[in-house]
Amino acid sequence: MTMDSPIYYAKSEFIETDTGNKVSRRAVIAGPQNIILGGKTIISHGAIIRGDLRRTGPGHAVVISLGRYCLIGEGCVMRPPYKTYRGAFNYYPMKIGDHVHIGAGSVVEAATIGNHVEIGKNCVIGKFTIIKDCAKIADDTIIPSNTVIPALSIFSGSPGRFVEDLPESTQEMVEAHTKQYYTRFQSQPTDR
Amino acid sequence: MAPIRDKFTIHSKAIVCQDVELKGDITIGSGTIVHPKATIFAIGGPIVIGTGCIVEESVIIVNRRKEVMRIGDDNLFEIGCRVECPSIGNSNTISTRSRVHHTVRMSSHCVVGAGCLVVPTEDEILDDYTVIYGPDAQRRTWSGRGKVQEADLRRKHVEYLKEMLPKFNRLRRGDGQ
Repeated sequence: MTMDSPIYYAKSEFIETDTGNKVSRRAVIAGPQNIILGGKTIISHGAIIRGDLRRTGPGHAVVISLGRYCLIGEGCVMRPPYKTYRGAFNYYPMKIGDHVHIGAGSVVEAATIGNHVEIGKNCVIGKFTIIKDCAKIADDTIIPSNTVIPALSIFSGSPGRFVEDLPESTQEMVEAHTKQYYTRFQSQPTDR
Repeated sequence: MAPIRDKFTIHSKAIVCQDVELKGDITIGSGTIVHPKATIFAIGGPIVIGTGCIVEESVIIVNRRKEVMRIGDDNLFEIGCRVECPSIGNSNTISTRSRVHHTVRMSSHCVVGAGCLVVPTEDEILDDYTVIYGPDAQRRTWSGRGKVQEADLRRKHVEYLKEMLPKFNRLRRGDGQ
């Protein structure tokens, strides 16, 4: 199998939106009116996205916003972080940039994730974590609450620690990879 | 083995989402919140959950023993944890993706850190204020500082969920209602 061979999925399993988002029918999306998908984002089966845990107060509140070319892996849980501030309990919005891939089985409760971030499989990203642009989290990493992960760094282990810096070219590499993944991810042709 | 008889007793003030898998004899106390996609299996004996607990997404609570599995009040089971303890006290936190075996009995105010495995081969009772952390499941005793704040946060969390969850999720009722 080469890097550009297509990844097929059954057409009936995914819902495709006008902006090219592909959302599995087997994903659990609570409170969809509070979730924004940037376009060309894939949400795999078994993922749980909690848009219902919103900030209290009147009007429309965005709970989770995802950028373009993101991938939420199988069985991921995306849930906004919570805390009490000045004695009032609240959930706070989660913002994720463009070209972010999150591996299967990861639990994400981050406050902000920048652009071009790669998160491995089975990671736990604690509450109010801030991940800057082009960072990478290795598989099975546990990031404790309130961690700030600097740009262009690899974190790994339990608790997740800095391992090494990434090259300057990471942005282009990740961008190419996420775009290629999206083009590879296509529905099964009917004539097969 | 005799087939498992389903019997769900859910307090009228508990919030149990529709998308929850329940099996066996389960009692859920008032003010307890069960998020969607949680699993509670009473394979052996029944499971009794107290008041003010929070059970998050993809949590698995299993009772394989014959005796009643008693879970106290104000416990927090975070995303994806798996618990088989025959007894759990009050105000414990079992963090994301951790696993606690059936050989462990938990007292009160214990914390099991994210991703910890607590799998002793012999029966064991965790004392009050035990904290388990890190990849090798190391242990310490918590001084109890910030206990009031912690309890306050838990209480407010339950109150918030009680108000918000029914707005977005369908709820499940017990057999008697």
